[in-house]
Amino acid sequence: MIQVNSLTKSYVDLRRGRFVALDGVTFSVGAGEIFGMLGPNGAGKTTALRILSTVLQPTSGSAMVCGFDCVTQPALVRHHIGFMSASTAVYDRMTAWEMVEYFGRLYGIGEEQLRERMETLFDRLQMQEIRDVLGSKMSTGMKQKVSIARAIVHDPPVLIFDEATSGLDIFVSRALLDAVAELRDQGKCILFSTHIMREAERLCDRVAIMHRGRILASGTLDQLRAAQDEPDLEELFFKLVQNSEEGVSCGQGTVGSRQ
Amino acid sequence: MNWYNVKLIFQREMRDQLRDRRTLFLIAVLPLLLYPLMGMSFFQMTQFLRKQAAKVLIVGVEQLQGVDGLPKLLEGRRFAASLVDPSKGRDNLQLVWPEDLVKKQELDVDDGNSNERHADLPMSDRTAVVPASSGALVSDGVAATERMTLVEARELVSSGVVQVVLYFPSGFADRLQAARASLLGPKNQHENLQLQVEPIEPQVFFNSANETSQVAQMRVDRVLGRWRNQVTQKNLQDHHIPVGVVQPFRLKGQDVALERQRITAVWSKILPFVLFIWALTGAFYPAVDLCAGEKERGTLETLLACPAQRREIVWGKLLTVMLFSIVTALLNLASMGVTGRFVLSQLQGISGMTDVPLAMPPLITVLWLVVGLIPISAMFSALCLALAAFARSTKEGQYYLMPLVLVMLPLMLLPMAPGVELNLGNSLIPVTGVVLLLRSMIEGQYVMAMRYLLPVGVVALACCLLAIRWAEEQFNRESVLFRESERLDLGRWLVHLVRDRTDTPTAAQALFCLVTILVVQFFISLAISARSSSGLDFQFLVQTLFISQVVCIFLPPALMTLLFLRRRKKSLLLDRLPAGSHMLAAVALAILAHPVGVQLSEWIRQLYPFSAEVSAQVEAFSKAMGQAPHWWIPLLLIAVLPAVCEEIAFRGFILSGLRHLGHKWWAILGTSIAFGAVHLFLQQKISAAAVGILLGILAVQTASLIPCITFHALYNGLSLLTGHLGELLGDGRPHPLLRGIMQADENSVTYKGWFLAICATGIASILWWLLRVPYERSDEEQLQETRENQSKAIPVYPNPSGGDPGVVHR
Repeated sequence: MIQVNSLTKSYVDLRRGRFVALDGVTFSVGAGEIFGMLGPNGAGKTTALRILSTVLQPTSGSAMVCGFDCVTQPALVRHHIGFMSASTAVYDRMTAWEMVEYFGRLYGIGEEQLRERMETLFDRLQMQEIRDVLGSKMSTGMKQKVSIARAIVHDPPVLIFDEATSGLDIFVSRALLDAVAELRDQGKCILFSTHIMREAERLCDRVAIMHRGRILASGTLDQLRAAQDEPDLEELFFKLVQNSEEGVSCGQGTVGSRQ
Repeated sequence: MNWYNVKLIFQREMRDQLRDRRTLFLIAVLPLLLYPLMGMSFFQMTQFLRKQAAKVLIVGVEQLQGVDGLPKLLEGRRFAASLVDPSKGRDNLQLVWPEDLVKKQELDVDDGNSNERHADLPMSDRTAVVPASSGALVSDGVAATERMTLVEARELVSSGVVQVVLYFPSGFADRLQAARASLLGPKNQHENLQLQVEPIEPQVFFNSANETSQVAQMRVDRVLGRWRNQVTQKNLQDHHIPVGVVQPFRLKGQDVALERQRITAVWSKILPFVLFIWALTGAFYPAVDLCAGEKERGTLETLLACPAQRREIVWGKLLTVMLFSIVTALLNLASMGVTGRFVLSQLQGISGMTDVPLAMPPLITVLWLVVGLIPISAMFSALCLALAAFARSTKEGQYYLMPLVLVMLPLMLLPMAPGVELNLGNSLIPVTGVVLLLRSMIEGQYVMAMRYLLPVGVVALACCLLAIRWAEEQFNRESVLFRESERLDLGRWLVHLVRDRTDTPTAAQALFCLVTILVVQFFISLAISARSSSGLDFQFLVQTLFISQVVCIFLPPALMTLLFLRRRKKSLLLDRLPAGSHMLAAVALAILAHPVGVQLSEWIRQLYPFSAEVSAQVEAFSKAMGQAPHWWIPLLLIAVLPAVCEEIAFRGFILSGLRHLGHKWWAILGTSIAFGAVHLFLQQKISAAAVGILLGILAVQTASLIPCITFHALYNGLSLLTGHLGELLGDGRPHPLLRGIMQADENSVTYKGWFLAICATGIASILWWLLRVPYERSDEEQLQETRENQSKAIPVYPNPSGGDPGVVHR
């Protein structure tokens, strides 16, 4: 459902000159699967996901969602994804209900159906008590719930979560992870980026480890562990990053596999 | 574009803004409170002003006492009631006598710390200067008067102790007496004559730099004028001479304007300005909140990731901003009207401007204002939206208000300047045209207004569309949407420009290049005009042309290409030789465009006639050119040099830069306007912009600068020839062929209509062929095209969970 092929994105930055945020990234995600993108801050995760949500345009390479091209058919791509990131905030001067309703309408859902869908969603995410609370009065957890409801109100086949648990307490983040797992069980194709290893271990069917705009390794967690001979994910991550740094400094190119 | 989405976004933004207390306060509450408050404070202020009477020092009052039968100027310590404007009661003038000031000074001396006070008190110990005109000071027992001198009177006024000094010199009484006596009979004629030779006049000292003093002077003037009339009348009456002798007739002005017209004339100037200022303010703050504010709060990305297209988002926001702009302006108008109704009567009483009609504007005025407000609001809203979208934060957004106002203010103020009226030229100026059209509508000149409705409408619409397009552009640029706040570091930025060179110029570089050209041109033209007043000869002309082409136009893009670009030849369209057919097309186009261009210039000249100054300049120019030693030198200077320099700058650098905007027509149009802008006179600017479009098409379709240079050189060369053709035709020894296609009247040579029609057809067919030639698209243009062609298939709900949703074509 998601096919990303040698995606590259470079910016011009005053300090660093031409800066490559994404460097030939290739991966694909199927239905009923959670694909995790693991990496430290600045690894290029957000850039990749922003390209998939059509907000950014790649410098080269292609990104397809449900068979639609992110560059040439952005409106269609946006219809088929639910995008939620740390930087997609909720409106301060709208209540939870109004906010979800607004986006539901923008997705073109009929009134009747939208109301049914929202009632179900609000029940499932336990949001009935914050229905008429303004965004500015909500706690972080409440806002996050509203964001999820907003992202899935049109029941999209593809969901993209970018650092969705950042800033959440353990209760809320646990609830969120459960919700994501549940969505996977419904057959959604889910792209989930995080820098927290435990979340990836708990949730992801496959992961890609990213560093400096490149995928250092990808596969199921077991595959990665076997390949690097390292049972601990955190250690495995450090090892990959270290190898890659050494590789760069020795001018040998990148170490690690690409899918 | 899906208008349902626009409506949704509009409704949301409206609700959002209405829930914001700040916006509501600014839009609704402030105007409702502002004007009553302003009116109240005005009221207070005028009361204060009324109490503060201007001080008038009267020196030499004893002169008035010595004449018998003189009408009274003073009644006690005031001017006589019959001299004061009856409508305002007393004239707000407080009369003081020299002894009053002396008393004050003596008191200060008693105080003990008189030294400092002395400095600003003019009643110093200085020796009194005797007024030149008087033989000896009249000593009526008023000691202070003796010490009062002209010099001191002057000082008193300039230091502001009194506002006006009314000085009756000694001998004034005699003069008055003599004037009376002169009526008695012919024996006094000699005396009378003498009086006219050496008149002793009362003097009024005032300070025109001080408004209070100036107003007081005017009032004293009026009082004395009335007194003079009374004196004359009395003198005549006493000698039994009819008053009519000195006033054989009186001029009576008859204003044919109805009171309604006078009122509308005043309001039609003031109201549009006030209204549009509020429309701008009303648009700006919501725009900043809707764009920069959303960026700051992080909700913009949420919106961008939803299926609504950027254009729909822009339109939704634009309509919101527009509504706020209109409502703000109207609320202000209403509030102003209500307050004005109460204040106006007061104002009329105080200011003394009884001849200026100040009444409420008629209702029809207000109606027309509302109609005119709509296009202006649309344009302001789009401009504000684009600026706000560019801003990173609300704080940065607010910084942009001032530049916007500075650009808009002259356009709104221009129509208020005396003598600026609705004509075709003015109607083409954005904003100004609308204001002028509105004025004639308000004044009831519907026929005239209808005549200019089309140009004003077209310009207003074009400006609106451009502004909206610009706003959309801002929403499509990720560098604008995801701008991170970087510390401004000029050095680093320059290093970045040279280090991270782009292949071809960016749109911003193109714009910068244009601005540089204009600035350099401005300074050089200043330097040249300083010299040219001394006379224009051929050598100077050569220098001027060379500098203005090479330094102003060629150097900036050439340097920028060298410094900032990687693919230099490609940027200037010099990387390939043109196809033969393209060259042929360029040559044919230039030859065919020339007659049409001549006709166009003629039309433009009829529309905007040359001013005497410009005509003189043009004449001096051609005269100097006539001094050229060889025939090919003017050709080189006027045809070849500009062709190379201007094409490299405009069709080379600037067009390449603007093509990154994503649409070739915008790039061609932008380049043409830039090309027009660097020309000297308005008439040249317009025709150059028109030719610029042809050149732009040539450049884009042939991807080579050579055809453009050829066209340009040929076109200019032919224009140079027409001057000589005119001479030929005028000399009466024309070539029969030329006589067939050309016609000449006393000041112009044009081509005949049928020949023009053939040329126009030729141009159209060449363009039609050229535009079908496959052309090289920039990356942005390719993307834009693919996007515009993307299927409009939008999924329909419900969709089977997990599966691909069904698709319908809307």
